[in-house]
Amino acid sequence: MIDIRPALEALAKRDVDFVIIGGVAINLHSSAYVTYDLDFCFSRKRENLKRIIEALAPFKPRLRGIPGDLPFIWDEQTLKSGTNFTFETTIGDIDMLGEVAGIGDFSNALVLSVKMKLFGFEFDVLSIEGLIKAKRAAGRTKDLLVLPELEALQESLED
Amino acid sequence: MKEKAIEKLLNPMPGSKIAAAKEFGIDLTLLARKLKLTPEQRLEELQQAMYSFDELRREAEKSRKNDRHQTST
Repeated sequence: MIDIRPALEALAKRDVDFVIIGGVAINLHSSAYVTYDLDFCFSRKRENLKRIIEALAPFKPRLRGIPGDLPFIWDEQTLKSGTNFTFETTIGDIDMLGEVAGIGDFSNALVLSVKMKLFGFEFDVLSIEGLIKAKRAAGRTKDLLVLPELEALQESLED
Repeated sequence: MKEKAIEKLLNPMPGSKIAAAKEFGIDLTLLARKLKLTPEQRLEELQQAMYSFDELRREAEKSRKNDRHQTST
């Protein structure tokens, strides 16, 4: 389970370039879907990696599912060496994606995002259109099950 | 905009995607209610739901352990 507010505030305070995706984004668009982690798409530019490292360091991120006695270094080099990561932290699970299926990288996600104000900060949130694309591309049963709800919301908000 | 969206969700047009979602089993009244909230309120509700489900899960686990203990004694 993730404590959403401290995670988002930490990223916003460090001016991290990211787009909220996944279940939290789905919820922000009025879905009743329940998720337990925070997913975001991040810019892989060096400066941004540095900001992510600083923002999330207080929450002691570690790769999810690896034994506790294996060493893990939370630094720019680690983030540079991969694209998509699943972390466990002291405030819950955080998935960081450099590339999102059906969307592309951060710049593509940003084009498909909308601005939302939360806790006094402005966040980029993947739009319903973007979420539908991402869920279709992911194609797993759990992703496809969300589509009717997202499509209904999208249709309801059309002129 | 919100009022119009809520109206569409509560009275879906036959053949629409909203009608299809209803047919699929989506509770459209829940979506209509969520639309009335601010994004921050929606997150607060999500966080609350996480806590509740987590508590339920822990209670269920405790109960299962107790059952196992009683069966074995």
